Amino acid sequence: MVTPDLSMRLGDLELRNPVLTASGTFGYGLEFEPYLKLDELAGFVTKGLSPQPREGNPPPRIVETPAGMLNTIGLQNIGVDAFIHDKLPLLRERDTQVIANVFGENIDGYVEVCSKLDQVEGVAAIELNVSCPNTEEGGMIFGNDPGALATVTAAAREATRLPLIVKLSPNVTDIRVTARAAVEGGADILSLVNTFVGMQVDIERRRPVLKKVCGGLSGPAIRPLAVWMTWQVSQSVDVPLIGMGGISCAADALEFILAGASAVQVGTANFVHPDGSIRVLRELRQWLADRDIATLAELVGAGHPA
Amino acid sequence: MPRDITTAVLANTGLGHGNWLLEFGAPEMAESMRPAQFFMIGIPGAATLLRRPYSVCGLPGTFDDRPAGALQVLYKAVGRGTGLLASLAPGAQITVLGPLGNGFTPPDDPETVPLFVAGGIGSAPFPALTSTLAAGSPRPRMIYGARSAGDLVLADWFAERTEFEATTEDGSAGTTGRVTGPLERMLDEEQQRKLKIYACGPEPMLEAVGKLAVAREVECELSMEAHMACGFGVCLGCVVPVRRAGDGVGYDRVCLEGPVMDAKCVAW
Repeated sequence: MVTPDLSMRLGDLELRNPVLTASGTFGYGLEFEPYLKLDELAGFVTKGLSPQPREGNPPPRIVETPAGMLNTIGLQNIGVDAFIHDKLPLLRERDTQVIANVFGENIDGYVEVCSKLDQVEGVAAIELNVSCPNTEEGGMIFGNDPGALATVTAAAREATRLPLIVKLSPNVTDIRVTARAAVEGGADILSLVNTFVGMQVDIERRRPVLKKVCGGLSGPAIRPLAVWMTWQVSQSVDVPLIGMGGISCAADALEFILAGASAVQVGTANFVHPDGSIRVLRELRQWLADRDIATLAELVGAGHPA
Repeated sequence: MPRDITTAVLANTGLGHGNWLLEFGAPEMAESMRPAQFFMIGIPGAATLLRRPYSVCGLPGTFDDRPAGALQVLYKAVGRGTGLLASLAPGAQITVLGPLGNGFTPPDDPETVPLFVAGGIGSAPFPALTSTLAAGSPRPRMIYGARSAGDLVLADWFAERTEFEATTEDGSAGTTGRVTGPLERMLDEEQQRKLKIYACGPEPMLEAVGKLAVAREVECELSMEAHMACGFGVCLGCVVPVRRAGDGVGYDRVCLEGPVMDAKCVAW
C-alpha cells in the first residue's frame, strides 16, 4: 500500500491535492468551518468579488431540476474591500490556498478588483468570472466574444502578478475558440465550465419559475457536457486546466483529470453536504491507494490516446 | 453548532390529506434545538439532488410517550422531495443537517400572551413552540387556517393546549374564510393584554399577518419559507427582501438570518 501523492502543479499555483471548491458554492470559506477543516482542502474559490457590494437578483433565485439546479443569484457579494478587510485576515490564518473569483461590470471594474487583490497578502490566485449568465451588465459578454475575452484577460493580466485563471463559459458554439482567446490574453490557467443557461416553467402559473426567467444549470446533469469540453480544450491549449461540473465523488473528479484537468472544483455538491469537497478528496486518496497508484499527476490527460 | 448526521426513521405516520409526521433519532440536536429552527433532510440514493428544509415540530417533551432523543417533523407530501419522504418506512436511512436558522424567541415579558397564526402545513413549528413556553405563561391563543377541515393538522392537539380557533376556505370547519378576519377581531378583543404574534404559513398569509401586526403595533415574528439549496447560508438562493437602515432594501437569507424574521423588517 502506497501513500499516494496527490499534489499538483499548475504553473505557479502549487496545490497539495487537486480538490478545490467552485465559486458561488463555498461562500468565503469560513461559513464551512462548522463542517470541515479548510486546512484539509487544497484551496477554495471565493464568491465572485466585485468593486462594490451587490445585493443580487430578486427571488425566486433557485429551483431544482433533474440531477441539477438552476440559479440566478446575480453575483450577490460583499465587495472586494469588505473581503480584504473582514475575511482575508481570518483566511490568512488557515493553511489553504485562497483563490479570489473576480467580477467587474466593465474592464475597469475587473482591473480595480485585480489590483486591490494583488496588493494584499493571502490570495494565491485570481479566477476571472467572465461567464456568469445571471447579470445584465456583462460577465457573459466577455465570455462569449473571443476578442472581448482576450482584452479583459490582458487588462487583468497587467493588473496582477498573481496566477491568473480564466473561467470559461460553456454557452458558446466552440469552447476551444474562447479557450485560445483567454490564453492569448495572458491566462495562466483555464477553469471550466461555468453553468449552462436554462430555464424552468411553472405550468400552473404559466410563468418562468425564476424571477429573472433564466438561470445557470449546475450539478450532475451537466457533467458529461463539462467533461467533453475539458477534453476538447485540453487538446487545444497548453495551459493547465481546472475541471468542474457536477463533481460529487472521486470517480467524477477522475473523469475530468483523465480528460486533461490538473485540478477540479466541487460545486453544487457543497450544497448537498457541506463537507462534500472533503468526501471527494478522501475517496480520491482511497481510490489511488487501492490501485497502488503513487502519483495522481500521472493521470492528468491520461484518457487521451497516445 | 449544526451537525450533518445519517440516522434512521423511527416512525412516519400518515395524518390524512397527505400530511405526515416523521420521527427520527437525533439526541444531540434534540438538546439544543429551538422552535422554528429547521433541518435539511435528504434521502441517500434518492432521485432528488438537494435536501429539503423541514421545521422542527416536536422536541423532547412536545408529544407524549416518544422515545428519548427523538425529534418530529410535520410535512405535507406535495412535491418530489416530500413525496419520497412519505414513502419511507421505519428503519430507512435519512441524512439530517441541523439545527439550522434562528428560531422563535420567547416573549420578553412573562405576562405576554402568545398568539399563534398558522396556515396549512405552517402549523409545523407550533407544537414545539407550545411545549417550550415558560411555565406559568398565559395560555396561548391560536388561529389556524386551512383550505378545508382535513388540512387542519393536529387540530385536536392544539385545541387542548391553546385557545383555538379554526378557519377554512370552504367552511368545512371553524369560520369560513382566512385567518385575517379572526385575527383582527382578536387584536380588538385583547386591548388589555400584551400580545406577541408568531406566524407560519403561505407567503400571502405571512404578508397579511405581518402588515396587520405592524399597523396595530403588535410584536410579530414570521417564520418564512423559501426554496433553498444548502440551508446553511452559502447558496444565497433563499433570500427575501428586507428593510435596511435608512430607506434601503436588501436581501436576507431565510436559512441564516431567518427563518424567523421580525414583521417590521420584511419589505413585502
